[in-house]
Amino acid sequence: MISFLSKIGSFYYREYKLNLSGFQDILTNIIFFFVSIFIFIFSIGPEKETISLIGVGIVWTLLLLSSTLSLRKFYQDDFENGNLLLMRLNGFSYGFISILKTFSHFLFVQVPFLLSIPIACILLNIANDKVVYLFASFAIGSLILSCLGSISSSMNLMNQRNFLLGSLIVMIFSVPIIIFSVGIINMEKNFYSLMSVLVGILLIVFSINPWASGLCLKLSLENN
Amino acid sequence: MILVKDLSIERSNKKIFENVNLSLGTGKIIILKGENGSGKTTLLKSILNLIEPTSGSIYWKGKLLNKNLNDFYNHVTYIADKTTSLRKLTVQDNINIWKKIFLSKIGKSNIENILKILKLDFYLGQKVNSLSFGEIKKLELLRLIIENKKIWILDEPLSNLDKETINVVEQTFEDHCAKEGSIIFSSHQDTVINVTEEVIL
Repeated sequence: MISFLSKIGSFYYREYKLNLSGFQDILTNIIFFFVSIFIFIFSIGPEKETISLIGVGIVWTLLLLSSTLSLRKFYQDDFENGNLLLMRLNGFSYGFISILKTFSHFLFVQVPFLLSIPIACILLNIANDKVVYLFASFAIGSLILSCLGSISSSMNLMNQRNFLLGSLIVMIFSVPIIIFSVGIINMEKNFYSLMSVLVGILLIVFSINPWASGLCLKLSLENN
Repeated sequence: MILVKDLSIERSNKKIFENVNLSLGTGKIIILKGENGSGKTTLLKSILNLIEPTSGSIYWKGKLLNKNLNDFYNHVTYIADKTTSLRKLTVQDNINIWKKIFLSKIGKSNIENILKILKLDFYLGQKVNSLSFGEIKKLELLRLIIENKKIWILDEPLSNLDKETINVVEQTFEDHCAKEGSIIFSSHQDTVINVTEEVIL
């Protein structure tokens, strides 16, 4: 048991080193997020009320688009350099690899966005009390996006020619997440019931993820 | 330890190989030979249970491999034709990661000695990206020593290596077998390694 936990620890040490060396990728994603916010502000005009009215929707849409940018690298590098195989031979099942990678994506891609939310809220004139709700909804929503990203990226390994297909799947399945997440912020009275729906969606995709991603990883390694 | 019985693999209705039999016991070295596309890599991957065979079976310590997979993986190191070192990181980082992942107890001085023999000691702080393909391959072979497992399964371990390194690898193979290890490897090249069995695909 201790050796298994050590292996998990070393997996995250590896992910940390990799993400540290590729820090410019994370930074590019964050810059894309903020530049897009500025473009929205300039295109809408100077009315504070309009901006604050649609601000939450803008933040969520851009968070979705920005995190989609990183999906290509979810499994691709590890697949191409044989590290997925190494993980399997190190005793991790395919399903478990997908869970580890999902949390790694959440930690190293989504958490920087989570930390950028307060600045985005200032730029978009979103009321202070709504920031907490946005924060809570994105904490759950981003984990859902990571699970969906895992499924679509593992599917992409079998379909190397069309990366956009995976992104499209994430976008389509993200629609309910955006509806409920934005709903939480605009209907504060229903906070707990809408959060329950989001947590429900998270539990569904979290339980499907290891099964679907694991199968795709297995098939793509078999046919590689 | 490993017994392969009447193993056949078909892909897209094309026979890759059929009725392959081999037995790998303690201290044995098996070499797989064959032309490009003859199925050497496929056979190695099916022994690792990464590809399902069309027919036939593989046994590990007398039990069907897929019923005893975790124990098998605890005893096997696989070096693929691809190199698994992380190109963005330094040689030292890669060694540290492998040591952590495989819970290796190998000492720093041991690694330094091997790096000297492989002439990689000057590159410790350099990114793997900046090494030549032959040097990356040598780094990959270091994983055999770091993992320190009984069974080595290697896909073309001698390709892209200079004569001097090939001699080191051949000597390492013989030392490993003398310590009750076992090896299966594929190779195009002629080798002076004292192989126990030659399987032509």
